[in-house]
Parts: sequence; C-alpha cells; structure tokens
Amino acid sequence: MHQVIELKRVTKAFGSLDRPTVALEDINMSVHEREFVGVVGPSGCGKSTLLRLIIGLTEPTDGEVYYRGRRVQGICEGMAMVFQTFALFPWLTVAENVELGIHGKQFSKDERRTRVLKILELMGLHGFEDAYPRELSGGMKQRVGLARALISDPEVLLMDEPFSSLDPLTATHLREEVLDLWLDPKVAPEAVIMVTHNVEEAVYMADRVIVLTSRPGRIARDIQLIMPRPRDPRSNEIYRLVDEITGIIA
Amino acid sequence: MLTLPRVHVGQMIGLLEVLEDFKGRVDVAKVADDLILELDDLLPAVEAAELLGFLKVESGDLILTEEGRQFLAKGASSRKKFLNEHVMKLSGFKAIVDFLKSHKNHEVTREELLEFLRKEMSDEDAESAIPWIVEWGRYSLILHYDSNNGRLKVLRTPK
Repeated sequence: MHQVIELKRVTKAFGSLDRPTVALEDINMSVHEREFVGVVGPSGCGKSTLLRLIIGLTEPTDGEVYYRGRRVQGICEGMAMVFQTFALFPWLTVAENVELGIHGKQFSKDERRTRVLKILELMGLHGFEDAYPRELSGGMKQRVGLARALISDPEVLLMDEPFSSLDPLTATHLREEVLDLWLDPKVAPEAVIMVTHNVEEAVYMADRVIVLTSRPGRIARDIQLIMPRPRDPRSNEIYRLVDEITGIIA
Repeated sequence: MLTLPRVHVGQMIGLLEVLEDFKGRVDVAKVADDLILELDDLLPAVEAAELLGFLKVESGDLILTEEGRQFLAKGASSRKKFLNEHVMKLSGFKAIVDFLKSHKNHEVTREELLEFLRKEMSDEDAESAIPWIVEWGRYSLILHYDSNNGRLKVLRTPK
C-alpha cells in the first residue's frame, strides 16, 4: 500500500519558549491509500492539532509532516477538512458555501456550476441549493460541510469531530452516509482521517484506530481493525474493542 | 386534521437505520436507551416514519416495514424520489400542495400559507409547521422556498 501521509517525530508545543505547553509529543505515524483512520483520545490530547499539522494549517515545533513524500509547508492542496461546528458562512447560500471548496481553482464558470450541482446531488442536498445555513438542520449543515470538502476531489479527507454536535439520530444517519461515500470508489478520497472523542464511532467506522494519551498527546496504541463491512455497531467484537480502547484512555 | 412530519428528515432516517441494525424489530424503550435519548425525543421520528409507512408500532415494538426497507436500500438521490412519492401521499402535504396549486404560478407567500394552516390547527401549531413543511418539501423535491422573499412554490414532479 502506498503511503499518503507520514509524520516523523512530530512535536507541537504552544506558548512561550521557557514555559511551553506540549500538545503533541513524538508522533510517528503514517496513513496509506484506502485507509480510514480514526484518532481517539481524551479531550485536550491534541487530536485537532494533529489534523491541523497534517493539512499544514500549523507547523510542527519539531519533526516533519510528509504528504506523498514531500514535506508539508503551508496549506496542503490535496486535502480538505470538515469541522465539528460546520464553519459555514451564514450570508452565503448552500451552493455558494459549497463552491468555496474550489475557490481559487482554475475552473471555468460552467465547470464550477457542474461540480457544485454534482456534489450537491451526491450529498442529498438537491432542493436546498439556495437555502441559507440558518434554515438547515445540523445534519444538513454538516452535509454542506462535507460537500464543500469533497467538491475539490481531495486525496485526503480530514474530519474533526464531524458528528459530535449532532443529535444521536442524525449522527447515526450521517455516519452511514459517510461510510457509503467511503465505499464508493467513484467518489471516495484516497484516505480519511477522523478525529473523535467517541470511541464507538471510531471503532464502527475506521480501518485503524490510533489512540492518543492525554496531554502531551502521544500514541498509546495503533490498532488495525480487521472487520468486514457493513459492521454491526452492537456486535460483541465492537463492544470488546470499545472496552479495550476506553481502558487505555481512562 | 392536517398531520405533518415534525422532525428533521435526517433524524427519521437515523431511526430507520437504527431499526435496521436491530434486524427490523426492537422495543422503543431499548432504542431510547441505546441512543441515550428520552422517549419523548424519539417520538417525533417514530411518528413521521409511521406516517410515511416506513415503520409500524406494535405493543411497544418498532417494526421496520417493507417500504422502510426499500427506502433504506436506496442511495441519497433515489431516496429523494421515493420520499417524494410517499410525502405526496400524506393528506396534510397534499392539502398544502393543492392550496399552492390553486394560486397563480403555484406559488404563495409564507403569510398566505400560514393563514391557510390556521384554519386547520392552532396558531402556534401553524407557525411551527412552516419550517417542517419547508424542510420536507425541499428534501423530497416537492416545494421550493425562497427565504429572501418568503415565497413558496410547487416544483414539478421529478422524473
């Protein structure tokens, strides 16, 4: 399997030099093609910081991040991010928010329009094109967030607690939609990295779960999940893994 | 009485998916327990799914119907079409669509719709019904709503 992302001895500290707060320490990991990686850990373990380092929104204090063998310096073009709080512009319509995902890309007006319509349809947002975020349920807002991320055909999709601000029913539904996308070779990115505090969610969705310790975040375990899909979220195997991982975090 | 779904579309679909995980039949209290939800928070989704014929309630059990299974088996855009047909079968939605169709361009303002709904339900219920009508209407491609001018319009049936 080809390596898409690699982190080598990555440490990230914030604050002053004499009294730094170390968010992440000595992180060594790689993500391969066709891998859905879940990152779990207690709150404040630097999970979100990890995603920001990978996409190049912030630089490591020490160590290096590589994307396709090249060092990440500045925001990485081949990746897109989905946020817990959706991060939509309230004064823009659904279609306009989604089009932001290809802002600055060299597409003709027609090509833009086609891409927007195609991704809206794929995400079940057809019919909501000219709605504003305030008119949408949380689930619909996150679909817009996903559409905006996927419109650029990213190689790597990063998701930061994508279902955490949704009610349990909506979250159940949207997880299924994301898994459907992941299993559809026509639209799936090469790799997905999802940060979540919800261990069950990670075990249900991912191919591999990376468990971080509390601050400073270090990799406590890297667990390969060999379970066929579709999975039963209430199976004994999932319960066992959830117990095991929860035990490491607690 | 004009009955309408009063839950987010995604919540109803989520409930159907949970039901499928439980092999199509489960005690409603177990679902609430499993999702860490109050029974009251689950009921709007149950009612909407029942209204659309996607589930049945039998002595405290939720049972996924054949229609419900068919709906779940479809992809995002086919679900819209399926929902379009089922939502149009709801007497409440049909009455609203007929009301819109009795106007020029099959279009009314939010206020006109509100006035129509008030004849069928309390003022409070009428007011709260509108966002649900807009959401289900948009999702199932029955209605178009422009929040800039507050106009609601019937869309042509998708092919």
